[in-house]
Amino acid sequence: MAMGFQEQKKPDYRPMFFSMADEWKDIESDESIFEFSVKSSDTSLTTEIEHQVRLLSNSLGEPRLFFSEIETSVCADGECKLANIKVYWNLLGNYVGYGTYDKYPLTKFEHDPFEKADYQKLHKLLLDDNSVLKRRKMSDLIDKIPVSLSNINSKDLDGISGATKKEIKESVVKGGLYSCYTIWHLVHGDAKKKIRKNLETIGADDLKEYFLYSLYKDYQIYGLKQLSQADFRVHSKQIVSIFKSTNALTRTYILKKLPTDLYSEKEITNQLYTMFPGVDLNSKTLLINKLEFAAPDAIEILAGFLDNMTKNQLKHYLKYLEENTLRITNTMKRNLRKVSKDKNYAHSYLIDAFLKTNK
Amino acid sequence: MKYLSEKIMKKITWLTSICTVLIFNQLIGQQNVLIEAESFIDKGGWVVDQQFVEQMGSSYIMAHGMGVPVSNASTQITFNNKGNYHVWARTKNWVPGNWDAPGQFKILINGKPLKHNLGLTPEWGWEYAGKVKIKSSHVDIQLADLTGFNGRCDAIYFSKSKTPPTNSKSELATWRKTKLGEATSPETQKTYDLVITGGGLAGCAAAIASAEQGLKVALIHDRPVLGGNASEEIRVHTLGIYGKYERILKMIDTKHYPNGSSEAKYDQEKRDRNVKSFKNIDLFLNWRAYDAVSENNTIQYVDARHTSTGERIRFTAPRFVDSTGDGWIGFWAGAEFSYGRESADTYGEAWEEWGELWSPEEADNFVMGSSVLWQNEKTEDVHEFPQLPWAIDVAKEHKAIAGEWYWEFTRNDLHQIHDAEDIRDHMLRAIFGSFANAKKLEENKNYKLQWVSYLVGKRESRRLIGDHVYTFNDVKNHTKFEDAVVEEIREVDVHYQKHLKDEAIPDFLSKAIYYQTEKYYVPYRSLYSKNINNLFMAGRNFSCSHIGLGGPRVMLTTGQMGAAVGLAAVICKKYDINPRAVYTKHLQEYLDLIEKQK
Ligand SMILES: Cc1cc2nc3c(=O)[nH]c(=O)nc-3n(C[C@H](O)[C@H](O)[C@H](O)COP(=O)(O)OP(=O)(O)OC[C@H]3O[C@@H](n4cnc5c(N)ncnc54)[C@H](O)[C@@H]3O)c2cc1C
Repeated sequence: MAMGFQEQKKPDYRPMFFSMADEWKDIESDESIFEFSVKSSDTSLTTEIEHQVRLLSNSLGEPRLFFSEIETSVCADGECKLANIKVYWNLLGNYVGYGTYDKYPLTKFEHDPFEKADYQKLHKLLLDDNSVLKRRKMSDLIDKIPVSLSNINSKDLDGISGATKKEIKESVVKGGLYSCYTIWHLVHGDAKKKIRKNLETIGADDLKEYFLYSLYKDYQIYGLKQLSQADFRVHSKQIVSIFKSTNALTRTYILKKLPTDLYSEKEITNQLYTMFPGVDLNSKTLLINKLEFAAPDAIEILAGFLDNMTKNQLKHYLKYLEENTLRITNTMKRNLRKVSKDKNYAHSYLIDAFLKTNK
Repeated sequence: MKYLSEKIMKKITWLTSICTVLIFNQLIGQQNVLIEAESFIDKGGWVVDQQFVEQMGSSYIMAHGMGVPVSNASTQITFNNKGNYHVWARTKNWVPGNWDAPGQFKILINGKPLKHNLGLTPEWGWEYAGKVKIKSSHVDIQLADLTGFNGRCDAIYFSKSKTPPTNSKSELATWRKTKLGEATSPETQKTYDLVITGGGLAGCAAAIASAEQGLKVALIHDRPVLGGNASEEIRVHTLGIYGKYERILKMIDTKHYPNGSSEAKYDQEKRDRNVKSFKNIDLFLNWRAYDAVSENNTIQYVDARHTSTGERIRFTAPRFVDSTGDGWIGFWAGAEFSYGRESADTYGEAWEEWGELWSPEEADNFVMGSSVLWQNEKTEDVHEFPQLPWAIDVAKEHKAIAGEWYWEFTRNDLHQIHDAEDIRDHMLRAIFGSFANAKKLEENKNYKLQWVSYLVGKRESRRLIGDHVYTFNDVKNHTKFEDAVVEEIREVDVHYQKHLKDEAIPDFLSKAIYYQTEKYYVPYRSLYSKNINNLFMAGRNFSCSHIGLGGPRVMLTTGQMGAAVGLAAVICKKYDINPRAVYTKHLQEYLDLIEKQK
């Protein structure tokens, strides 16, 4: 299988879709590091097909991508066709892109070639590591989903729930269910697990900082998870910068893990708490819950963002004020009074009540 | 005609007797009257909502009209003192903000509206409705819904003085008791072999299994129909396997209808009919337990109140089952419990691929969320649906014409029990807002809302702690416990909010992580309390970790748990022992009894 491509002198690394920057451009070394096997979906064969996974490194010898040139059969109702694609995974085994060969366009069930939008859709599907296709057997889909996936309305429901059908329909290429299914499972199967396992052997230790300082969310949280308590201090600047740009998942992780001595430093506190209005609600909750560990400025900074708080967050904050009345400054009082009259803020009544009992 | 008027007469006589209770204070000459709205004789289109009693103090009634004002609720009471009264309603603006409060209503006295609209102030409290002159002793009171969007009323208070009743939560309970002339403990007491609280699949199975073996059981359930999340009021289909209890569970399970489907009603009829057919089961529908008291770590009794009439009963028994889902009985009785996600290290439940979404490095309270299911109807006609600023605030741009299981809400500043009303209300806003958005499209012009639940379907809250805490490792290792009484093959699934990974997605949608597995077993030791001697638990409040709940929380599995504790109670009765001794002393006999159930 697919070996033919490897013998080519200069492999063409150009992907069709690529969700990282341009890592694929600067490739100097290309070494085959393991094989993964996939059961043929051609039921007339019982073979397992081996595919090579290659590690691509840049001109500095730094590992950057995993890569595989795959030729696989896509079968439905006993009829099989070949599909050829080049797959790119990042160093954590997460899918990042794919390419095709001019000679071998992907095709749909009726043998029509994929159109531009179909390729795009496939990329989107492959980016979803928790796709609805994940737990399904091909046979489930063949039995229960009409190939053309005609319109489904809420009354037309059977074994697979309407929701699942709709989700499948929305995520796969029309008429290309089998190709999508086969390729998704190739990309998210054995290869991914093996890449993850291989991470140690390619020098994950040296890569720690690369992960932490990269722009990719999965690298960032992976990098964060490798940090010792002491490392947090060394990299605090980068951690704050990740906090600013990342998603709720990573932000809440950072807030939970930042060592207290670091958290209570004026500069860190200031940076984190001034970002309050821009961060997700779950991080906001943690920022308020962790007030006691923050530098004294935090309480005043938050007084400027009262109207960004949910009801429970505000209650929690006001309770904290009640327990620390000495720390209520005049500026804070002014803010409290102002927001207590703000009609646009749903919970202003709580501040009003607070001011009445804490004159 | 004659027949009709006789019927009405009868109703009025009966009514007067009820009202005597309600205005007991009136008879001893006080100048005020408290009427619990849920005790209104005719609730019109208003529904009784008993879900948040522990948080806001009482059952209440709600105008859940899905945007169409519901018909008036009405009651008639006797006033002994005529004259001028000030009138208050205990209510709330359920979506405070810079828009018209969505749930507004008025009080009508003898057909005449009082001056002020109600449902305008944030948080539960007394709102002033106006003044009225009572000229005759028979007074007709009505609640007129103005919006169809979930106005709510807990109680109405008439007073000759202009001082409003107390809003303090602690004083309110005592005040209410005094006004209603309630004694400290319930008037009636009933004794059983086994008292089961919570009539979800777990509670129903426990009742059937124990009643079949001759135990006299009480099943206390706070809704008019059985089944909990599987009921036609919530409409989730039962998943999982029957284990050793196929015969029992088939009396109460559901077909695999789509979540939210109106087909749920057929299984509802079956379930209610079957449970009611046991003469050994005394079924207390619309009764909500509100307390359980233990002495020397042994529950003495469970107190329950009727969700409409307010009557109370004290239930005594040698043993109790907590199948409330929320672990209420255990909580009141002082049973150890857990809430939240353990750290991955606590029980070694990490799954690297999913990291923090599965099991966090540091414990937190980010449990799986609650849902409100809903369904549309496509008709021949065009239906309008209003644009709702108070709902768009939650729904944002999201468009939908029906719900599914993944309409789910949890957030780390919200507790699935203490904040359940806010969670339910958030989901209502998500639903109405998303539907309003979808209705802007030409293709949806013939759709209307057919059904929106007002009951919050919960997945996870308190988990009572037993002798064994069931974890992910028990699934992965397929531990075949010597006391395995429940078995399951369904994958483990644990949910996360999509919003956590992508903030552009609205906050009320979730995604599941699935772990495929071979058969796994739940031991009997996870089904009785570690520290309360006579307490069983079955259902999602059994003894498990957050991830441990991921597999066995589905309803045939929780049903198996119910059947298992029902049968354990039989052994307990036979030897007059506590649940633990079934494991330590009579395990084989117990397992044999289970084996016979097929
Ligand atoms: C949207 C959604 C989708 C789901 N999907 C599935 C699915 O497809 N299949 C599946 O099997 N499971 C599903 N689940 C999970 C499952 O429904 C719950 O885990 C399950 O209901 C647990 O059963 P239970 O008997 O423990 O609790 P419940 O079904 O919650 O029953 C407990 C009952 O006790 C009553 N109660 C509570 N407190 C008191 C009190 N103080 N006094 C009297 N009565 C009280 C409540 O009214 C409640 O109905 C889903 C859950 C949700 C929310």
